[in-house]
Amino acid sequence: MIPITHFLAVSACIFCIGLYAVVSKRNAIMILVGIELMINAAILNLVAFGRYDRAEYGGQVFALFAIVLAAAAVAVGLSIILMAYRKYKTINPDQITDLRD
Amino acid sequence: MYEFAPQITPIIDHIIDSVRSFRPELAISIAFIGTIFCSLFIDKYWKQSSFSSFLIGIVAAGYLTYTQNVENLPVFFDMLRVDSFSQYARIIILFGVAIIGLYIQQYGSYQLPKKRLGDIYAILLATTLGLHLLTLTTHWIMAFIAVEMVSIGSYVLVAYFAQNKKESEAAMKYVLFGSTCAAFMLYGLSLLYGFTGSLDFTSIAQMKGMIAAPTILSTLALLFVFVGIGFKLGFVPFHVWTPDVYEGAPTPITAFLATVPKVGAIVLFSRLILAWTASPFYFGEVTLHFLCFVAIVTMLIGNLVALRQQNIKRLMAYSSVGHTGFLLLAVLSYVHHEPEVLFFYLSTYILMNLAVFGFIMILEKQTGSANLPDYSGQGKRFPILFTALTFAGISLVGLPPTSGFVAKLLVFTSIFDLYQTVDQSLYLYLLIVGVLTSVISLFYYLKIPMYGFLRQTTPSKPADGVATNSHIVYGFALFFTLLLLLFGLFPDLLLDFFRQP
Repeated sequence: MIPITHFLAVSACIFCIGLYAVVSKRNAIMILVGIELMINAAILNLVAFGRYDRAEYGGQVFALFAIVLAAAAVAVGLSIILMAYRKYKTINPDQITDLRD
Repeated sequence: MYEFAPQITPIIDHIIDSVRSFRPELAISIAFIGTIFCSLFIDKYWKQSSFSSFLIGIVAAGYLTYTQNVENLPVFFDMLRVDSFSQYARIIILFGVAIIGLYIQQYGSYQLPKKRLGDIYAILLATTLGLHLLTLTTHWIMAFIAVEMVSIGSYVLVAYFAQNKKESEAAMKYVLFGSTCAAFMLYGLSLLYGFTGSLDFTSIAQMKGMIAAPTILSTLALLFVFVGIGFKLGFVPFHVWTPDVYEGAPTPITAFLATVPKVGAIVLFSRLILAWTASPFYFGEVTLHFLCFVAIVTMLIGNLVALRQQNIKRLMAYSSVGHTGFLLLAVLSYVHHEPEVLFFYLSTYILMNLAVFGFIMILEKQTGSANLPDYSGQGKRFPILFTALTFAGISLVGLPPTSGFVAKLLVFTSIFDLYQTVDQSLYLYLLIVGVLTSVISLFYYLKIPMYGFLRQTTPSKPADGVATNSHIVYGFALFFTLLLLLFGLFPDLLLDFFRQP
């Protein structure tokens, strides 16, 4: 049996990689991929912790719901990025800056 | 599998019993399906059918919520908490959503007469369902689903009308920022679940787990969770999306973003703060200090940055950030058992914002701009509108005789009482910053009548020849202003409603 710390270490790494992809923004699609990685890190955590919750399976259920919600959010996000691309002909967030103080 | 067999009857009985407490939300769900059906099949023959279906659903949900039996029964295995606290919040939410639906209908009829609006009502209803769940739950799974329902619905609402560059940019920034915050929240929740093994934040298991967990990690998890709630509430430092999205979104959608999601989020936040500060352990302290610190910074930044805004929607965005700070103060007074203060502030806040955004819709339509310098001298053209807008502004500042004054007075009194009983200097700082920022806010809210009445008329372009009228929006906005004055003079009318058990 793999100890739980291994899972936590992997998920923390995935979370940090996702966060790096979000922060070093060059491409809106890559930001969405980064967000997806962060969510998957959380899901991995939930399933790993869920092993110790044999009574209610809260972690497993939460993981399922999180997967569905992440898919919905990404679908909306992709369509909005597509719409922005039609207007700007770019999806680099650094170049889409009409709204600012 | 077989171990469930003897229990299956009580489980089914419980679920069937729970459905009875879930009727307002069922009404919204049915209206959601009905609105989609109308927009697909009946809108061809009768253009307003989807709007009517939306309105019927909201009114039915409002009636069912009002007559609901609130006995704090366990609903759906304690996933939902049906109490009077959530009942008042849901009535406020339904009121706000109904008015915003009306604004959207009017906006669509004069701005985009060709565009099909049926779907937007369906999305609005789905978002309302999410808001209802947000006010009802103390369970993290439910809370996360509700937050995401509201978020995804709001992304679509912002993007739905997008016709020019600004609108699509606002939608894109909103969706990227919002999804990142949701991911942070989910990671924080997974850590909380790992420390405690429980997903109900009022449960004893969660308290015990938090006490046993290492301090640094549990503080980190708490902060991650607050990222998600902070995004929905828009407090500093998660407010950076507000000015851009509020400016870029169509005005009725801005009115939506500024009002109802905050009610849902603040109710969830209040429950959380109430559950966690009740325990005398360190994470109660952490939450309380976090709340006070964030409230101070939010009031300061929101009101100071608003001073140099020239776009009225951006100005309202920073004003709503500032008001979030005051709402956090009202949460503190809720924690000390004065929920009517919180509800009075919330309902006043919603009335003020609905009135102001109604006026902004009309001004935008008449002058074709949301920049304050373009309103120079328009006070002579629309004297009643600018007078009413000035009253709404006075209410936002918190001056008598408006209900904004009463709301702020109640909050400050309750914080002062708190300071005298607990004698922590933290509360005194909160009070000082609150009063100081109220004074600062006077300068920027009064910029609107200053431009309207005192500046000379610029040779403005004439009103574009849109023939349809917007009397309904105008009438409602004026009515809300009158209500603000009424509740300012007779606050007991509203307070008694929230006081009845």
